[in-house]
Amino acid sequence: MKKILVINAGSSSLKYQLYDMSDESVLAKGRVERIGMDTSIIVHEPKDREDLRYVEEVLDHTAAVRVVLQKLTDPEHGVIGSIDEIDAVGHRIVHGGEKLTQSMIIDDHVKQEIRRLFDLAPLHNPAHLMGIMAMEANLPGVPQTVVFDTAFHSTMPPMSYMYPIPKVLYKKHMVRRYGFHGTSHQYVSEQAAKFLNKQIESLKIITCHIGNGASVTAVKDGQSFDTSMGMTPLEGLMMGTRSGDIDPAIVPYAMVKEELTVNEVNSMLNKHSGLMAISGLSSDMREITDSMDSDPNAKLAFDMFEYRLRKYIGSYVAALNGVDVIVFTAGIGENSVVLRKQVCENLTYLGVKLDVERNAVRSGEDRRITTDDSTVQVLVIPTNEELMIARDTHRLLDQ
Amino acid sequence: MIFKKIGVIGGGTMGQGIAEMLSKKGLDVYLVEKTEQLLEQAFQMIEISLDKQIEKWAITGTEKKLILSRIHKITDKSKLVEVDMVIETITENIEMKKRVFAELDQVTKPDIVLASNTSTLSLTEIASVVNDPGRVIGLHFLHPVSRIDLVELIRGLRTSEETYEQAKYFTETVIQKKGIMVFDSPGYVTTRLICILINEALHTLQEGVASAEDIDSAMRIGYDFRYGPLEMCDRFGLDAVLAAMEQMFREYGDLKYRPSVLLKKMVRAGNLGVKTGEGFFKYDRDGDRIQ
Repeated sequence: MKKILVINAGSSSLKYQLYDMSDESVLAKGRVERIGMDTSIIVHEPKDREDLRYVEEVLDHTAAVRVVLQKLTDPEHGVIGSIDEIDAVGHRIVHGGEKLTQSMIIDDHVKQEIRRLFDLAPLHNPAHLMGIMAMEANLPGVPQTVVFDTAFHSTMPPMSYMYPIPKVLYKKHMVRRYGFHGTSHQYVSEQAAKFLNKQIESLKIITCHIGNGASVTAVKDGQSFDTSMGMTPLEGLMMGTRSGDIDPAIVPYAMVKEELTVNEVNSMLNKHSGLMAISGLSSDMREITDSMDSDPNAKLAFDMFEYRLRKYIGSYVAALNGVDVIVFTAGIGENSVVLRKQVCENLTYLGVKLDVERNAVRSGEDRRITTDDSTVQVLVIPTNEELMIARDTHRLLDQ
Repeated sequence: MIFKKIGVIGGGTMGQGIAEMLSKKGLDVYLVEKTEQLLEQAFQMIEISLDKQIEKWAITGTEKKLILSRIHKITDKSKLVEVDMVIETITENIEMKKRVFAELDQVTKPDIVLASNTSTLSLTEIASVVNDPGRVIGLHFLHPVSRIDLVELIRGLRTSEETYEQAKYFTETVIQKKGIMVFDSPGYVTTRLICILINEALHTLQEGVASAEDIDSAMRIGYDFRYGPLEMCDRFGLDAVLAAMEQMFREYGDLKYRPSVLLKKMVRAGNLGVKTGEGFFKYDRDGDRIQ
């Protein structure tokens, strides 16, 4: 078992990475964008060979998979001699619901269950299933696995995952908290334990995955105990264009006052809120921090973002009855020096002592940003969900 | 069945709405008008409609750009050779529609579905000018197209089973609206029933039974209508309602379709509803009612 292809299929895109598991190196990665249009964009970045970027018509996911396999085996841009060298395919799946709670090998039952969850993840699960079918059609006989964004959070106890609303909604319509970014939270919490040379079971960890979407997870005994995203990725932190937690009564109130439809109010909270709404400038944290000295709206957006994140960290300290490690990861978490600084400088009561110089270092390595005598360690760990999917696939097929 | 490029003939209210909705669903639209100027006008109206939706947070600026980029402005009908289906949305005039269909028959691929968005005219008669009338069907969308998820699939006398199946697949799977099957008959289901209700509301008003405001409140609150019948009439356009009633009166010959005198009078006075700012009620430029 050596070469594993990791696939992340969206509704009109397909991203891929081919791993050599003997040393966990990436042989090639790339993506097909704008599937279904005349001008699909294909990007292929092989190791030690020239990158490829061009436009052609890719009508559907099956055609996209064909393009990917062709590029991987291309005499000039390829990295393997034939598709027979691909030992397995691992798929990223956003929603596994209550039943699919760990990575597994795909069979009919798994596909059926992914389909049953279309209502809960209408943008993602149908696209994932198309990706699976397309792979099956092009690589018959090659084992395929699924790794779920929700799986890591399946260890949450009922008091974390239930909503205090009539239970019939849970029983009939699966309304409960599921959490997302699970693969990332799991990866960085495990890396954190390795970095500190400690058993993960001995640590109370709070992981902050702060990217365009953002969530915080309380990790206890190496397992997710609570996480900020809920039934959908809208709950929890303030994000680039998502509101995060608000008073639910605002929804019917705004619908009546502004005569909004269900779609409009959904789009308002998912695409027109967060940093974008408050700054009136951008949903991009870099632009916000670049402008906040001169622009009071950008400053307010930043302050709200940071304050809401810090409150979640505080509440998870209470959930865990303490904390040993706080981890920052993903786009903003890995790169925003000023966000980490403001969070840490307001957590001194916990024993967090920020090392300003360490925090200012920019690198792709796992690193500590607190002083040696800080009682709580704060780490920056670049996330790697694809590697996690490749590892899970490798493990499943070795069994 | 592949539906990727759709021709929309006519850039009026319905043509704009259908083009915008199709593009939102990710399809390429070939919007056809007689002149560049009419095309520009239609395109600007679509832009205004999308801007309104941004104001209501329904879409983002990026989504607007994407939607507009998929609408191609066409004056030369020969380009329609590339499309997978055509939806015609020109004025409700049987002779004009027949001319358009005869032309479409020449320029399109011979096996694609030719659909008309007519709300009252005979599909069977429109199809009579096409070589293979089996490929003609009615797709009656309701205004506003983006918000109303119903399409009447109208079978003319000679519409083929295959054409019907394709139209149903297009409606329910590609653009995800509910399609109902209707056999060719003046006014079909929606226009026939709603115009009768509006006409009856006009008689009620004319007889002095209740005020316009109260008639609308009765139906809005009493039967959970989004708009009362008189405001509905204002929104459709009084001239359009009158034309539909007259057409049904002619075709069925039944007195229940006789248009109310009040409707005729108001049309003659030029009070056509939302589009002229005044009908039974008054409206601002955005089409919102002035209370």
